[in-house]
Amino acid sequence: MAEVLLSNVRKSYGRTDVIHGIDLTIRDGDFVALVGPSGCGKSTLLRMVAGLEAITHGDISIGGRVVTDLDPKERDIAMVFQNYALYPHMTVAANMGFSLEHRGGSKTQVAERVRWAAGILGLEQLLERYPRQLSGGQRQRVAMGRAIVRDPQVFLFDEPLSNLDAKLRIVMRGEIKTLHQKLKTTTIYVTHDQVEAMTMADTVVVLNAGRVEQAGPPLELYDHPANQFVAGFIGSPSMNFIAGTITADGFSTSAGAVLPLPESENRLPHGPAIYGVRPEHLALSTDSGIPAQVLLVEPTGSETQVTVQLGGTRLVCMLRERAALTPGSTVQLQPRVDSVHLFDAASGKRLGA
Amino acid sequence: MAAASTALTSTPAPRRRPYWTIARRDALAGWLFVAPQLAGIATFVLLPLVLVAWFSLHEWNVLANTFNFVGARNYQQLLADPNLPGVLGASAVFSAGLVVFNLSLALLLAVLLNQKLAGIAVFRTLFFSPVVVSLVAWTIVWGFLLQKNGGINGALLALGIEGPNWLRSPGTAMASVIVVQVFKNVGLNMVLFLAALQGVPGELYEAARIDGVPRFKQFRRITLPLISPTIVLTSIITVVGSLQVFAQIAVLTQGGPGISTTVLVYYLYQQTFQFNMFGYGSTLAILLFVIVLVLTFAQWSLRRKVVFHEER
Amino acid sequence: MKNAESKRRAAPSFLAPPRRARRDAAGLGAISAARARLLIYGGMCVLLIPFVFPTWWMVTSSIKPASDIFAFPPQLLPTHTDWSTYAQVFKLQPFGQQYWNSAYIAALVTVGTMAVSSLAGYAFARVRFPGANALFMVVLLGLLIPAEVTIVPLFQLFRRLGMVNTHWPLILIPIFGAPSVFATFVMRQFFIALPVELEEAARVDGLGRFTIFRKIALPLARPALASVAIFTFLHSWNLYLEPIVFLSSAHMFTLPQALTHFTDAYGGPLWNVQLAAATLTALPVLIVFVVAQKQFVEGLAHTGLK
Repeated sequence: MAEVLLSNVRKSYGRTDVIHGIDLTIRDGDFVALVGPSGCGKSTLLRMVAGLEAITHGDISIGGRVVTDLDPKERDIAMVFQNYALYPHMTVAANMGFSLEHRGGSKTQVAERVRWAAGILGLEQLLERYPRQLSGGQRQRVAMGRAIVRDPQVFLFDEPLSNLDAKLRIVMRGEIKTLHQKLKTTTIYVTHDQVEAMTMADTVVVLNAGRVEQAGPPLELYDHPANQFVAGFIGSPSMNFIAGTITADGFSTSAGAVLPLPESENRLPHGPAIYGVRPEHLALSTDSGIPAQVLLVEPTGSETQVTVQLGGTRLVCMLRERAALTPGSTVQLQPRVDSVHLFDAASGKRLGA
Repeated sequence: MAAASTALTSTPAPRRRPYWTIARRDALAGWLFVAPQLAGIATFVLLPLVLVAWFSLHEWNVLANTFNFVGARNYQQLLADPNLPGVLGASAVFSAGLVVFNLSLALLLAVLLNQKLAGIAVFRTLFFSPVVVSLVAWTIVWGFLLQKNGGINGALLALGIEGPNWLRSPGTAMASVIVVQVFKNVGLNMVLFLAALQGVPGELYEAARIDGVPRFKQFRRITLPLISPTIVLTSIITVVGSLQVFAQIAVLTQGGPGISTTVLVYYLYQQTFQFNMFGYGSTLAILLFVIVLVLTFAQWSLRRKVVFHEER
Repeated sequence: MKNAESKRRAAPSFLAPPRRARRDAAGLGAISAARARLLIYGGMCVLLIPFVFPTWWMVTSSIKPASDIFAFPPQLLPTHTDWSTYAQVFKLQPFGQQYWNSAYIAALVTVGTMAVSSLAGYAFARVRFPGANALFMVVLLGLLIPAEVTIVPLFQLFRRLGMVNTHWPLILIPIFGAPSVFATFVMRQFFIALPVELEEAARVDGLGRFTIFRKIALPLARPALASVAIFTFLHSWNLYLEPIVFLSSAHMFTLPQALTHFTDAYGGPLWNVQLAAATLTALPVLIVFVVAQKQFVEGLAHTGLK
């Protein structure tokens, strides 16, 4: 069983804490994405699981074994690096077989293993090539091949797709996901791209400044963000936030407009709060609603992104159809009331259910 | 309308291209830029080379003022010279010993200095310091330390060991000269190797660590291949340099005892400036030149086999 | 999950990671790390001895009375000091003049080499002219030819020109001949690595080749020029063969040559005086080195032996 447990893991450099007491349970076979802005500590956390960084406090266990003080090679893990870390002077086959060579298998066993991994990743034709002769996507696949050839208990990915262009990234995303479905190995995947996290992971862990903001299935983080940070981080384009006050009549913005509150949530505390609504939940109508002024109309072909001005705030609406709107005209906003999120103005925590 | 269209469709009269096109002017600039260096090479390198070959065909005693064409006689004398095998042997031993000792020590020091320890830069400076000290000064100090009753034997005596007369005994004389030369210059190679070591991406070692590759194997299979271009270039330079070592031998042993430390270059100096056999000295110079060419060419060809070619 | 389990059981045993018998207690790990570090420092200090000791010995012995130099047990620090050795240095030889000789020759050679090699290096790197490759090979030949091979004809050459026992050979040969070839090589490597766009932008602005060289390439070449200056100066300061071949009067000598002439009436070396002279010879270089060590070492490392 390859369950990964982090208990109260802390990391400090001198007197500065970079990772503050993180508890995390990763079930066997799960694909977990660690996501967050630059500097949030996700790579550091991954490297601590790998054993490349020392843990100042706390414990990590893999598959039931406590690995906190073990060397990377004893943890039965494999890692795919952002810059591939392929040995430039070895062929693809040699790169993939390098880690197996000294573990006591015979040459034929190693070759068999390499061939198996190459088959899964479509690298059979490239085995005798050198890394410099490969494209970015091919190199990334070789790096993955090197990881799977050892059949470890856990795969660690450190922003593997960051160096690829946009189209290739989408292709590789699918390939990594397919690989996981086939091998079912526990995977920890670090990325700063929340779209990658959402599409690939079974569980998404959002990190910010060394702390876990929320952990759970992607759609749960999308539909029920625990705080304003997660709400704003997950989802593209990001959620719209409007400052104001919760009153008995609704949400009164600082500009004076009154936005509708979700009906079932009437145990909401009155007072300053943040009103959050996703762009796709902001409908535009010509008759009733909250008046706003159109600033930008950006059609993508399948959708139309409309930026409007409401009082002092800019809001982004995502419409599924083509809209013939002109900048400067006035539209009526109709937020989908049951998809509205409210957050405490001071702490950012979610209000209500 | 009609006039405009004919103006557009008719071909313009062909212009005569000026002689001094941009490309030609640039080429001229190029030649002018390299002219000083080329003139210098022609005068101070090529011309002397030709002259040396010419001189080697003469018997030429400067004191007696004789300059006679003798054809290949100097070369015959070379082949029959009883000292020559000893001289070549001394050169071979000196170069081989020096290169092996120098390169391994430089690599060892570079690896040691490549760690992130406090104050490592101070060590690097200290290991490098002999390179900048005057060669003759360095040699004189060592010459003095290597005396029969000098500093080194004094230290050994304190430990109860009686040291030999380092510079006057056949076996130790050669070893002493090698050691003195290596410690003087190894700092240079050390710095070059250090730069090469730091050019290896750290991620490769991390990947190897995760895969469980033992430390020594990392060095052999990752580090060495990736710094092999530097190793080869450094060894070429060191070998060529070792064949030119003159001052240390002149100051420390004067080629002795006997001819055990008379390397080719020193033999050349003796024949030319001490025995005034300028013709024969020139023959030796040609021999030295040929040896350098052969060794360099051999090392350069080996390069393809040993060096991993990094993509440019 | 069952599939994963059975697959793992089927995988060859050699894939299993080495298992530790016991978990390593954190305390023990920390101690041996510190001990390892101590070992490394200690080892390096021991290795340092042959590198540093001679310089130390040179400086301390230069102020010992002659009898103390050979004293047993050897004195690491002088017990009696005899500062007269330094005065004797100047009395026995025109040492001041010799110092000046070495200094101005080295300065001229450095400046001259920087000029010649930067021009040639730039042209070989950037300018397209017919025969460039072949000419570069010819220039490289200079690297392979030991000074001793060409010294005889050069001597004859300068003798015909009446320049023996002058400093001209010591200035002209290094600037234009074999020693400057390495400098040209270094400059060429450097200029190749400069982005072409900078010069192309200048071309568009209408600058000529020489102006581009003077105003753009050269100012950017400071690191390479620095390392050229350093090793050229060192090379000239330490020249030994050429001075003893070309120079015969004491007041023309350069320092390395002069060092070997501190002898007593019987022709044996006056050790303490010689060491004092050696200290004086090494002093300026050592001072500059200590002050500018970073540039020194990095300049040499960046000769780009790639």
